Amino acid sequence: MLDLIISTLTQGFIYALLSYGIYITYKILDFPDLTVDGSFPLGAAVTAVLLTSGWDPYLSLLAAVAVGALAGFVTGLIHVRLGVRDLLAGIITMTALFSINLQIAGSNLYVEREIDTIFTAPATMALFGGMSLMGRKLVVSLLLAVLVKLLLDVYFSTKNGLLLRAVGDNSTLVTTLARDKGSMKILGLVIANALVALSGSVVCQEQRAFSSTMGTGQMVFGLATVIIGTTLFKKLSFVKGTTAVVAGSIVYKICIQLAISLGLPANLLKLVTAALFLIILVLGEQKKLSLHRKGGAKHA
Amino acid sequence: MKKLNKISRKIFALALAVVLAVSLAACGANGGVPVIGLSQYGEHASLDNCRLGFVQGLTDAGLTEGEDYTLDYQNAGFDDNIAIQIAQNFAAQNVALMCAVATPSATACYAAAEDKDIPVIYNAISDPEAAGLTVGNISGVSDKLPVAAQLQLIRAMQPDAAVIGILYTTSEPNSVSAIAEYEALAGEYGFTIDAIGVTAQSEVTQAADTLIQHGVDCFSNLTDNNVVGVLPSILEKTNEAGIPVYGSEIEQVKLGCVASAGIDYFELGRQAGAMAARVLAGESAADIPGETVTNFETYINSAALTEMGISVPADIAEKAIEAE
Repeated sequence: MLDLIISTLTQGFIYALLSYGIYITYKILDFPDLTVDGSFPLGAAVTAVLLTSGWDPYLSLLAAVAVGALAGFVTGLIHVRLGVRDLLAGIITMTALFSINLQIAGSNLYVEREIDTIFTAPATMALFGGMSLMGRKLVVSLLLAVLVKLLLDVYFSTKNGLLLRAVGDNSTLVTTLARDKGSMKILGLVIANALVALSGSVVCQEQRAFSSTMGTGQMVFGLATVIIGTTLFKKLSFVKGTTAVVAGSIVYKICIQLAISLGLPANLLKLVTAALFLIILVLGEQKKLSLHRKGGAKHA
Repeated sequence: MKKLNKISRKIFALALAVVLAVSLAACGANGGVPVIGLSQYGEHASLDNCRLGFVQGLTDAGLTEGEDYTLDYQNAGFDDNIAIQIAQNFAAQNVALMCAVATPSATACYAAAEDKDIPVIYNAISDPEAAGLTVGNISGVSDKLPVAAQLQLIRAMQPDAAVIGILYTTSEPNSVSAIAEYEALAGEYGFTIDAIGVTAQSEVTQAADTLIQHGVDCFSNLTDNNVVGVLPSILEKTNEAGIPVYGSEIEQVKLGCVASAGIDYFELGRQAGAMAARVLAGESAADIPGETVTNFETYINSAALTEMGISVPADIAEKAIEAE
């Protein structure tokens, strides 16, 4: 049972990196960014190639971040400079990335067990060598999720970060402050897809594999985690968006794990997952509704 | 209204609690009988046959489900992320053995099993070497296609044919390696290959139209998951155009392909089941060499052959198995 909790939490932390990205595009920029389904495997493809050619696993993480940023930049350019609608701009980049990913990796690619990943690299072993591989996977992914969360929190409180947050909510403010709304949008897409590719890189190191289809459905997954997370914590205003997103990612993975553990006919898995989501969302919404009513009564 | 709200909230909370309780119970209960975790990538006839064959293989070895082992069957519905969680669920349960059907499931099981060194038996993987599934506590049965035998069969059935059309998905490594082998061997049998790669299932029928337009003499169908998924609609088009389609295993011939030099996935699964029984008896999967299917059969669909006006040469008709 403990093992199951550890592996589910590990998955939650790793995919939280992707959810941060979706949080920025969907929640902050109000931009439905389908680039994600391409930039996630992009991070994995680059990582698989670099690891198999002997790169340091930590440097591979950074390389994935860089190419992910580039993917976001392309979507941003297509949308802001060429005036293509947001959804379509993402679809264009995603479609192109499918071929690019296969070009980069050749085909589906596997990282052999002798090759070090961030979970087995000397630096990791020096710190957490006493743990089992499963324990190291949990600790490293937890550290990554927390580190990125803290960096994002710091960034959001800077002047530039505040401007980014204003783009989705109050874009006139950005213009009033004599900043280009388009550039801020591009910046948001760059950061978001860098994080998504980082997540892809970690998944690749954890699974020791890149598959060109691994990106399918990641955008939907990310949306679900962001919505679950922010709904769950709507009432608690002191909980930061980034924290809510990590929780959303973990809750999502727990739902799937529950559906698997229930031992129902295999084809019902997605149905059970959907039912669990519905329960969570309804519970969250109800809290909000009843609060709202109380407020209304006071005014009356 | 408020009361109703409260009640419904309670019902939801109760539902959630029940779900949690049941799942905890499911986690805890499995006595002393070894558990085999079977992870199947998705649901289609060949993969299902693999699974059924696997169970038969265990039965043949004298093992009874419920007494000698319990089977925890999970299906990822063609979702890589679900396949990962299924594998980790098996590892957390500390199953005695994982059986993985199709490459994405095998990759996930192999990664999840590393820490506890749980043996993995794979099934229905064309190229385990390229998939990196040959090192460690792992073994299994590969379903590499008998390309030469298939080309020979097509030549015998259609002595005048020149171009073979093939549809495949560019992201399926099994298909990509099969195409390479087709292209390498086609010349020997006097064929050229016209292959069209697609990226998604929605593009398959368009690609089929394109091949028909190209005027290919026949189609040869691989074990490509995407393409096999819409095989009936391809056959509808080819039948209309009068182009015979050769399959790569018995299920495809049942669906309406004219013939196939191919694999019986049930047999494949049975071989893997026999292997699993050895592992349960104490052998290490690391010491069991990977197997391929060596015994290929020729399957024919007489109704489809007649419709295409193809007469089966006597020597083939003699040993061929009618798929029905």
